[in-house]
Amino acid sequence: MSALETSEALASHSPADRRVEVKGLSKSFQLARTTIEAVRDVSFDVRRGEFVALLGPSGSGKSTVLNMIASLIRPSGGEILIDGKRVVPGKATPDVGYVFQRDTLFPWRTVGDNIGYGLELAGVPAQQRKERIAECVAQAGLKGFENAYPSALSGGMRQRAALMRTLIVEPQILLMDEPFGALDTHTKIDMHEVLLRIWEREQQTVLFVTHDLGEALTLADRIILFSARPGRIKDMFTVDFARPRDAVKVRETPRYAELFQHIWHSLGEEFVKGRSA
Amino acid sequence: MKTYSTLNTIGWQVLICAIVLSVWQWGHDLHTTLPWLVPDLLDPYFISKPSMIWSNFLIQSCLTSKLGVVNGWFNGDFAKCLARNENNLWAATAITLKNTFFGFVTGVVSGFIAGLILGRSDRLSAIFQPFITAVNSIPRIALAPIIVLAFGIGDMSKIVTSWIVVVFLVFFNTFEGARSIDEGFTNAARLLGASEWQITRTVVIPSTMAWVFASLTPAISFALIGVIVGEFIGAERGIGRLIIESEARGEASGMMVAVVVLMLVGVVLSAIIWRLQAYLLRWQRQRSAE
Ligand SMILES: Nc1ncnc2c1ncn2[C@@H]1O[C@H](COP(=O)(O)OP(=O)(O)O)[C@@H](O)[C@H]1O
Ligand SMILES: [Mg+2]
Repeated sequence: MSALETSEALASHSPADRRVEVKGLSKSFQLARTTIEAVRDVSFDVRRGEFVALLGPSGSGKSTVLNMIASLIRPSGGEILIDGKRVVPGKATPDVGYVFQRDTLFPWRTVGDNIGYGLELAGVPAQQRKERIAECVAQAGLKGFENAYPSALSGGMRQRAALMRTLIVEPQILLMDEPFGALDTHTKIDMHEVLLRIWEREQQTVLFVTHDLGEALTLADRIILFSARPGRIKDMFTVDFARPRDAVKVRETPRYAELFQHIWHSLGEEFVKGRSA
Repeated sequence: MKTYSTLNTIGWQVLICAIVLSVWQWGHDLHTTLPWLVPDLLDPYFISKPSMIWSNFLIQSCLTSKLGVVNGWFNGDFAKCLARNENNLWAATAITLKNTFFGFVTGVVSGFIAGLILGRSDRLSAIFQPFITAVNSIPRIALAPIIVLAFGIGDMSKIVTSWIVVVFLVFFNTFEGARSIDEGFTNAARLLGASEWQITRTVVIPSTMAWVFASLTPAISFALIGVIVGEFIGAERGIGRLIIESEARGEASGMMVAVVVLMLVGVVLSAIIWRLQAYLLRWQRQRSAE
């Protein structure tokens, strides 16, 4: 464990405070001839309202862990509890929202209809839906694009629309898999601002997967560092910048540089291992 | 790419039509006068010629009498002519269109539903795989005589022949479409709380639509072919029947009239499909414009 890890921060929260509990989770993929061990014995908890980043090089099993929590993949071992209830593979847990790494907006729906999709499924009346969509569209800075199809939007706009499609049903737990991975640096930091403001207001419990240390530091309360394949937890770090944070200014503080230095070394080792693996 | 004005394009199209029609109309005469210059390819005995086709069209559609006299609308000549020939051009076209329509619609609907169900179920598609391959290897049109035998010379046999050629085409396209749905879309829907039925309705069907439409233009031609072949084999009315009758009389212009009508029918039906596709798949248009 890292020197910066505040041990009482982990111990202090009562069981009722734990929204997500991951216990001894592992996953192996069976391919034609070989078995790929993607995740090995991963355990961690996420507190109510906590913003946790899962950081690691690509191929370290971050998406696999997130997909198991989201019930999309069946674990090979271990268990996941959300609010004390076991996650059943193939059965979506209510209250859990997911933002995908890849753009999964429905190309046959307009931006507005994409955002309102979750409400439509829940049978919310059209008039009410329209009002909520208008709010979300405004919040995402997509005014004037409600009736456009996703293909007409830039990458950043598409990702904002995807974020709103998830947020409109007001999930209390947000799983995000490198949602801004495909964006240029500038757009990415804009998106950090958008996300921080939403999170400060709604206080969701967030699990945010990324391979970008700067992104993890900007957003998270805690960083869980994954090792190269097979994915294990290598280290955890508490990120103690004051809230509310400014996505640009936080990067200019000495504390940011200090934490960056500290974690960078540890992360770098895994990138090297990941490359040779 | 250089862009040409629509007018320019239409100009060329008109010119091509004019050349083809002129050669067809006068080519054989030229051959008779200048045999060393113009080859003998266009014997009107076999392929008729535009002027003869036109006058035959007027007769078959009861617009003029056999002597070329205009059938009056108000003196009842037109109605009498129609009554005399129950397979007049209008009636024949109507009956062929009607059967094509029913064959097409039943074929598309059943092919689409079967394709969706089997495409979404690994179990069912594994069970039915060999049967589908086997049946698909039969040239369906070879079944037409059996169908006419079984269903008689009425409309039903034409609809069934048409259905059987359409259903497989649509089935295979829908099946492929349903198999190749992006899992990201179904996962996204499921995590937003969609039930299996909601996933089918809001994800599977829309993303399969492009595949289905790709089969509809050939399907409408196939439906028409199915009906015509059925009519060749045994029918009392319809455009196929008209062709057979003209052939028996050695009347090339009669056959050509039927062929031209079929061509027009095919063009109109395809245009309808195109319009429908442009509307339902409008989200794809923007993508290509990007
Ligand atoms: N469906 C799958 N089948 C086989 N191997 C997989 C599958 N999904 C992931 N893997 C493998 O598991 C490992 C971890 O993948 P992933 O969780 O996507 O890593 P990350 O998100 O950290 O980049 C990788 O080596 C990847 O190739
Ligand atoms: Mg990943």
